[in-house]
Amino acid sequence: MLSVALRRIASAVPVLLLVSLITFGMMRLIPGDPAAAIAGLSATPQQVAQIRADLGLDEPFLVQLGRWYGGMLQGDLGRSILMGKGVAAVTMERLPVTLALSAYALVLTLVIGLLAGIVAALRQNTVIDQFAMMFAMIGISVPSFFLGLLMIIVFAVRLGWLPTGGYIPLTEDPWGWFVTSTMPAISLALLQAGLLARITRSTMLEVLRQDYIRTARAKGLPARQVVFKHALTNALIPITTVVGIIISLLLSGAVVTEALFSIPGIGGLLTQAVLNRDYPMVQGGLLLVTAFLVLVNIGIDMLYAFLDPRVRYE
Amino acid sequence: MSETGALPLEAIQSEAEPEPKRVHPFWMTLRRLFRHRLFVTGLILFGIIAFMAAAAPWITDINPNRLSMRNKFLPPGGDFVLGTDNFGRSLWSRVVWGARLSVIIGVSVVALNAVFGTLIGALAGYFRRLDNVLMRINDALMAFPAILLAIGVTAMLGPSTANVIIALGIVYVPRTARIVRASVIVLREMEYVQAAVAAGAGHWRILRRHILPNAMAPMIVQLSFLFAYAVLSEATLSFLGLGAVPPTPTWGNIMAEGRDFMRDAPWIIAIPGVTLMITVLGLNMLGDGLRDVLDPRLRIQQ
Amino acid sequence: MKRAFLRTCAAPALMAASLAAAPWAPALAAPFTCPERGGDLVFGQEANVNSLDQMTSSTISTRNIAMNIYESLVTRDENNNVIPELAEGVEEAPDQLTYTFKLRQGISFHNGKPMTSADVVASFDRYKKIGLQRSTLDNVKGWDAPDPNTFVIHMQRAQPTFLEALSSFSVPIVIIPAENKDDPPQQLKPVGTGPFRMAEFVPGSHARLVRYDSYKPNTQFEQRTGFGGYKVACLDSVTFRIVTEASARVAGLETGELQGVEDIPTKSVEAMRKNPSVTVLPLKNWWIQIALPNTAHAPTDNLMFRKAVQAALGMEDIMDAATDNNYSLNVGFQYPNQPTYTDAGKETYNINDPDLAQKYLKESGYKGEPIYILTNRDYAPMYNAALVMQQQMQAVGIKAELKVTDWPTSVQMSQKVNSNEWHFFHSGWGTQPALGALATMQFLASPGANYRPRDDKGDPEVEAAWSDMNTKPTQKERNEAFARMQKLVLEKALAYPFGSLTKVQAVRAKVQNFEPFRIPRFSNVWMKK
Repeated sequence: MLSVALRRIASAVPVLLLVSLITFGMMRLIPGDPAAAIAGLSATPQQVAQIRADLGLDEPFLVQLGRWYGGMLQGDLGRSILMGKGVAAVTMERLPVTLALSAYALVLTLVIGLLAGIVAALRQNTVIDQFAMMFAMIGISVPSFFLGLLMIIVFAVRLGWLPTGGYIPLTEDPWGWFVTSTMPAISLALLQAGLLARITRSTMLEVLRQDYIRTARAKGLPARQVVFKHALTNALIPITTVVGIIISLLLSGAVVTEALFSIPGIGGLLTQAVLNRDYPMVQGGLLLVTAFLVLVNIGIDMLYAFLDPRVRYE
Repeated sequence: MSETGALPLEAIQSEAEPEPKRVHPFWMTLRRLFRHRLFVTGLILFGIIAFMAAAAPWITDINPNRLSMRNKFLPPGGDFVLGTDNFGRSLWSRVVWGARLSVIIGVSVVALNAVFGTLIGALAGYFRRLDNVLMRINDALMAFPAILLAIGVTAMLGPSTANVIIALGIVYVPRTARIVRASVIVLREMEYVQAAVAAGAGHWRILRRHILPNAMAPMIVQLSFLFAYAVLSEATLSFLGLGAVPPTPTWGNIMAEGRDFMRDAPWIIAIPGVTLMITVLGLNMLGDGLRDVLDPRLRIQQ
Repeated sequence: MKRAFLRTCAAPALMAASLAAAPWAPALAAPFTCPERGGDLVFGQEANVNSLDQMTSSTISTRNIAMNIYESLVTRDENNNVIPELAEGVEEAPDQLTYTFKLRQGISFHNGKPMTSADVVASFDRYKKIGLQRSTLDNVKGWDAPDPNTFVIHMQRAQPTFLEALSSFSVPIVIIPAENKDDPPQQLKPVGTGPFRMAEFVPGSHARLVRYDSYKPNTQFEQRTGFGGYKVACLDSVTFRIVTEASARVAGLETGELQGVEDIPTKSVEAMRKNPSVTVLPLKNWWIQIALPNTAHAPTDNLMFRKAVQAALGMEDIMDAATDNNYSLNVGFQYPNQPTYTDAGKETYNINDPDLAQKYLKESGYKGEPIYILTNRDYAPMYNAALVMQQQMQAVGIKAELKVTDWPTSVQMSQKVNSNEWHFFHSGWGTQPALGALATMQFLASPGANYRPRDDKGDPEVEAAWSDMNTKPTQKERNEAFARMQKLVLEKALAYPFGSLTKVQAVRAKVQNFEPFRIPRFSNVWMKK
């Protein structure tokens, strides 16, 4: 198992190398430079020129690329131009915020999605089924930023039940974290919950139609036991794959959600970095995030093999 | 934004290994489609939007970009059916013209995917030597969080309608290619294909005559979902200020410009938001219908 | 600027005189004391802050927070006059080649260490090395510290405007402990001498400042004024929370989640005014809304064409759209409340005469080629102003088109020499006009003149006026030179200042003595229980 994992990780290296090249090239081709972004609104042209010179932005492309790779070999991802801090340090500061939010959203996704999917499958072709699937359909059709805006209008602006934005770290004040994270987590989770409900339902239906379930039922085992012991365990296998995909979708969705709710996570950080041309931050940050996603996927694959003895890696 | 287009398909595909299936005669398929309730509902919903898009010049009488400071912040009802925004522009005009842009972008992204996704997927799936290289690039592009890639590409190319289409193409083509590749790999090993190879048919002919027609069904389903994601992603990019150049009336632009006023003039974001939702809902329903009818191995019930 | 005060350090007396006129400073006999102490204030700030290194950042969002932490030797008062802050006074030698600063006694840094002239030397050293506006020190030969309470600057040549430049709050030379002098750019440790010290800074989320208990107010004054004066921290803490959604800021203020916010959309101001638990505080003259022509490129290199555009502009509509109807019409580059304000060139302002515009247009030989207006979406007022300008230009027969990018791209495009990608560039000048005529007009002086002359060689007449603004020995002569330069720029249509924008701030009604200023100042602000 371990050697398989290592092999998978090794095969991810060229992908990450490509990711780093694409990011580097893309950033250098974006017009505008960080000097203007750092200088802000009222800077004089002299100030902007000063910053540009200070940053050494006039170096040739390949020199900059070489320096970046050289640094990475020594474990140095570079420094954020805007914040002056190390890229790895900033990423590690922000990533937990996004992960906590994503975890909250993932829990919501799993609870709502699995529940709706299972109930719909068990009550196939009833009103409950149709209602659950309609909900799932709407879930995958509402743009998350629109849902976020609606919730802000209703729950924060009109009713004043929840704060409009801001973020309190989980470690500092769990209740505060819960309160500030609820709207963002819901706006993130609804789409994924819809997806998961649809997939859970179809997988469950397929499993329920399998011979061994019929046998179990025929033997007179209680329905609940059949559903939870036999059907659900088997349905979990494809669902695990979906969860892997959902994790990467949550991280992607966080870009918009964090911007909307002013949450200091990795998505907002990288968006701002792109918009402000903070080259080292985008390059290093994206590399770390994609590496993280690749690792998650490898982990999911391992879990998958663990759950399903039929799957074996050669 | 999401890469969900690939999701239901891939997840289930990996489970249900495909078997060769009969090609349905066109009419039979059509009849089954029209008996499919979701498909018909989706068709009606999306039909309304498509009609707005096509008929935009005839069903609006005010230029969507005409400023009229005297009429700003009018709520829906009254002289302006859907009210006005902070510049006194007619929201009805802007939303209708926005529909046109959304449809154009959706169609273009779908077309890009149909061409390049199929091409890359077929080449990678059919020629083992190309597979490694193409799929590595594919994996790298798919490893990015989708929206950040789109943001990067639009920032690089500059905000414009054409560039949004290119950016969304770069984001989604790898996903389509992967689905096509999966079908092609399976089909390549089929007996009838092997027989054609043995009979000395050329690669091009085999791909065109024997493989691609049979890989069409999952493609079409994927493309219908893709339409929905393209529309959604375009709105998201515009909302973040990276879509078509304002004052171009796109739904995302309208919502972005309205967000400062959502407390006192919520209709400015609600109207394009609901329209966007209806569009995506309709397209998703269409996609479900197509999947159930065209690709029966993905069909679990009904 | 009052030269007598500078020479004799008679600051307190003079300051008292000018304060007497200020309506909010009734208690002249005794310095300000907090009517109530304590409380935690949360302020909703619109823009993100990446770094609080006040020496290497010129952004407003940085200044908002950092200027409550740091102080400088000299700064500006409410009316933009130079006042001493950490210096007790400054003596200018008769030949204007040395400036001797006596430091105030008993000042300590937030780390508890007393401030001495060694720290001032170290601060100037760091600023000279990496400070963003280090050109301020170009004409300085060097500095030294003859004793722990004295700091001396030696000039290369006499520069009558030196103290004005030194006291600029655009990128001020803040005084930091000597041990922080080698902190790299953007990474200055947040240790200053101000009434508040940094407790926690989470970029993208919030910054929390708490009262610095050992702060020693400047007893040369009785009240807070501008960035200086007699400052006391009444509040226990101030938290700057980044709230980028305008609606969220308004909602936060209404629910009491936030006690103060900046930049309220006009649409919400009416409702806010009716709310008894909220005080609305318009901050007039926040920036000058402006567009600049690209004079290196046809047809904007043609005076008649530029004048045609000038004649076509109607400032009420432009400013209404730009600011959401919160503006003042304003001629030129200074605000009426400033000592150097002049309406020279007012005949060119707000002509709004399509017939005249068309006449000029005909004389210019314009052939209907597309004219690109470069603007950005990051700053809504600039985008909105461009939208109306486009409509007004189209109305007189100019084929105006918008080119919308993001702010960094549009700055870069606008600064390119001999660019042919754009004709008009939209901007907003905030800090520089507030700093005075000298700071503002450098936007229009080469190299880097914002009207982008061909090969960056500025108009000779304008450059001559600029030179006089810098070198004439008396303030009166320098002011005259400014009036001349403004008139020239406007008559040659090298800039189109539309008017001044009002930025609306608001606080909860229980927040007292919060006066809107270039930054939200939290010294001498207190909360009713």
